[in-house]
Amino acid sequence: MSLKIDEKTRKIIYGPKGFRIRIPIASCSLAAGVNSVRDAVVNAIESLGVEAEIYRVGCMGQCFIDPWIEIAKEGLPPAIYGNVDPNNASKIKEIIQNYVNGDLSEAMAVRFKVDGVKSPQELTELDPWKYQVRFVSRNCGLIDPESIEDYIATGGYSGLKRALEMKREEVIEEIKRSKLRGRGGAGFPTWLKWNLCYQQKSDVKYVICNGDEGDPGAFMNRLLSESDPHRVVEGLIIAGYAVGATNGVIFVRAEKPLMAERLAKAVQQAREKGFLGKNILGTDFNFDIVTYRSAGAFVCGEETALIAAIEGRSRSRQRPPYPAVKGLWGKPTILNNVETLAHVATIFQFGVEEFLKYGTERTGGTKMFCVTGSVKRTGVYEVPIGTTIRRLIYDLAGGAKEGKNIKAVQAGGPSGGCIPVELFDVQLDFETLQQYGAIMGSGGLVVIDDSMCMVDVAHFFTGFTLAESCGKCLPCRVGVKLLNQILGKIKEGEGKIEDLETLQEIGESIMKTSLCALGGTAPNPVISTLKYFKHEYLEHIERKHCPAKVCQKLVTYVINPGICNGCGTCLRSCPAGAIEGKPRDAHKIIAEKCLRCGQCMIVCPAGAVGKV
Amino acid sequence: MVKVIVNGVEVEVPSNATVLDAAEKAGFKIPTLCHLEGIFDEATCRICVVDIGGRLFPSCRYPVSEGLKVTTESDAIRKYRRDLINLLFATHKIKCWSCVRKGGACTLLSLAKDYGVEAPVVCSECMFFGIDCLVAKGQPCLGPLTIAGCDAECTKNGMPCIGCRGPITSAEVWKSAIEFYDDKVKKDELLSKIKLFWNKYMDMISRYVEVKR
Ligand SMILES: Cc1cc2nc3c(=O)[nH]c(=O)nc-3n(C[C@H](O)[C@H](O)[C@H](O)COP(=O)(O)O)c2cc1C
Ligand code: SF4
Ligand code: SF4
Ligand code: SF4
Ligand code: FES
Repeated sequence: MSLKIDEKTRKIIYGPKGFRIRIPIASCSLAAGVNSVRDAVVNAIESLGVEAEIYRVGCMGQCFIDPWIEIAKEGLPPAIYGNVDPNNASKIKEIIQNYVNGDLSEAMAVRFKVDGVKSPQELTELDPWKYQVRFVSRNCGLIDPESIEDYIATGGYSGLKRALEMKREEVIEEIKRSKLRGRGGAGFPTWLKWNLCYQQKSDVKYVICNGDEGDPGAFMNRLLSESDPHRVVEGLIIAGYAVGATNGVIFVRAEKPLMAERLAKAVQQAREKGFLGKNILGTDFNFDIVTYRSAGAFVCGEETALIAAIEGRSRSRQRPPYPAVKGLWGKPTILNNVETLAHVATIFQFGVEEFLKYGTERTGGTKMFCVTGSVKRTGVYEVPIGTTIRRLIYDLAGGAKEGKNIKAVQAGGPSGGCIPVELFDVQLDFETLQQYGAIMGSGGLVVIDDSMCMVDVAHFFTGFTLAESCGKCLPCRVGVKLLNQILGKIKEGEGKIEDLETLQEIGESIMKTSLCALGGTAPNPVISTLKYFKHEYLEHIERKHCPAKVCQKLVTYVINPGICNGCGTCLRSCPAGAIEGKPRDAHKIIAEKCLRCGQCMIVCPAGAVGKV
Repeated sequence: MVKVIVNGVEVEVPSNATVLDAAEKAGFKIPTLCHLEGIFDEATCRICVVDIGGRLFPSCRYPVSEGLKVTTESDAIRKYRRDLINLLFATHKIKCWSCVRKGGACTLLSLAKDYGVEAPVVCSECMFFGIDCLVAKGQPCLGPLTIAGCDAECTKNGMPCIGCRGPITSAEVWKSAIEFYDDKVKKDELLSKIKLFWNKYMDMISRYVEVKR
């Protein structure tokens, strides 16, 4: 959070009463029990008799501190308390009381220091914040997502005003200068798409905000829309103006109800304020937005499938014609990702130069990344494009979980690729990732440690894309299934050395010949693991052994006679009757009978059962 | 009308034509399977892919434009098409037996021949299937195990197949074929015939027969 706290932000932090308690109401914090926290806070301020205002905000993106609260009283630094126990109301009361008394020792961090008050570190000094540049996520966890006034108070919709004072070509030129590229996956230059659409002659044009976000391990779009929905709406209006559109659509999957609800509310409020509708801000620009909830399928995020979903039948369609020429209902249409649009609004608010302070030669700005899997600090981190994987995974997300070693990261969701730990100095940008066999995708990074088997990982991801394939074209429908079957065979110890070549060959053909990018990228996990973790495949095939001891058929369960106390628990729970032994003597597993179900390992109270 | 350059040959076609049309006019044949003029143009089989600007696109669906350069054949394109045919067979296998086209009119089979893909078994080309199957009559016909492409001359003339084109090399085909033989043909009779005609493949074959047991 290298961004300075200005006067406007100060006002929002303390609120009109000069005493605000921020409570994040977003999907993630709700799951962590924030509702109970809120009740406890309400009770506490009542019984303490303090004049505090409870203030709803979105999420900061740092899941590992959920649920958190922030207490900000004029004269004191705004203090953030992480991992508040929702079931301990008296503790919450104590925290508030101590804070009011100027004792901030329990706080995790403060937003900024105040002279003369002893307080913990500033948020931006903590590792998970230090290297972040919160450009587009600046308001996340700061303002009430359901209040257009608060968004405007931070300078919101000033970007729209600026854009509307410019000619359409100038708006597109400005985005060209910013080197903004789509954050939805492919990294297509935003201006190029807009320009193509702008040049089409048509009475009706559409702009669509792609909020489908279907890949497992990605929730940055949800976070942004739940925490700062107006930024997305503002971006969509600017996009609409730039291409000369008449209608906007916000497409959100039904599994993310709060995201859909907040975006819909934002649209409603924007309309009431005159940012939508006829003659927006006194210009001759007419534009309105509808929100659309999809039934939710991974392929619906693909642009042609998304358009088809709105029309009533979700399947990808061969391009050309490109949607910018012939899209929704046959009219010129552009699609942009939630984050791309939020960047557009922010660029117009703060200027291209501010945006261009970050990024690489070919791609401007920052990107929100979701780091999940085997890391200490799961969360969403916004960093400049071109940041190294190492910085993100180790410095921000805290590295491997206790007792584990990271061996790779799956970058780009289910159709991304695995990058091994030796290459963690690789930069996160569109070209570099592709060069190493992964993709940027929506920015999901699933961290894989040595307790996971790479063949199993590839099998899992191909299983996902197989299930999500729309089934329209041959290479994806049949090819991915074949990949998945072969991987399944290898996992069962029935793989042959030729299978590796088949995987590679078929994988390449699928990528080259598929109709849409779902099939076009589906083999990535296979090809990249084959490239970097071939030894694991060979272990499975040649030695019938799974080094990570994950593939059930290839592990052997054994009881360590030195630890076993002969309690007989395993013997009683073994479904195959594969364990023998007398009470109080060390027990033994009869390998031929064992089904490898793992039950004995789960039940053994002494931890005597192991896998080899 | 627009000018299109197909494999270096310049042709003029109406501006609403596809690359497939242009190639045809220029005298190049591109295989198609799913495309049906005026009825289906969703480009789902991908067999008609061609190279346009370094990327592959289905020619049956790609609109022509002035000066468009297209390559319809190359080693790489042939490889991709071959893999696609293989994928189609991965879902066909022995099921060809029950297809009304049998061997005769099947575009897929003739494509397989063109592209050197191991086609399905002789049974799929045998016109007598279902009416007068020799295996069903208890004869040790090697049809269910032999690579097709001979037009099933023997079986058509009422003689059991002796496997001129060699055994198929797919374990799955062997598995279901041996099941198919099971109660109809005596195992040793079959094995001795296999040995007689395919002795040099016996190593491989014994692996497949293992599969069964
Ligand atoms: C299978 C598949 C799923 C996709 N899912 C999403 C998604 O959830 N959100 C998204 O913005 N883009 C998704 N995309 C990318 C879109 O097709 C499209 O490129 C993007 O929305 C364009 O916006 P941008 O230029 O702002 O990135 C997906 C693509 C594919 C092939
Ligand atoms: S690549 Fe897969 S998802 Fe895309 S059109 Fe083909 S079958 Fe459907
Ligand atoms: S793994 Fe399952 S089958 Fe094998 S010994 Fe343990 S409980 Fe019995
Ligand atoms: S449950 Fe554990 S300690 Fe008890 S007999 Fe089995 S292996 Fe030994
Ligand atoms: S013929 Fe099927 S894709 Fe062109």
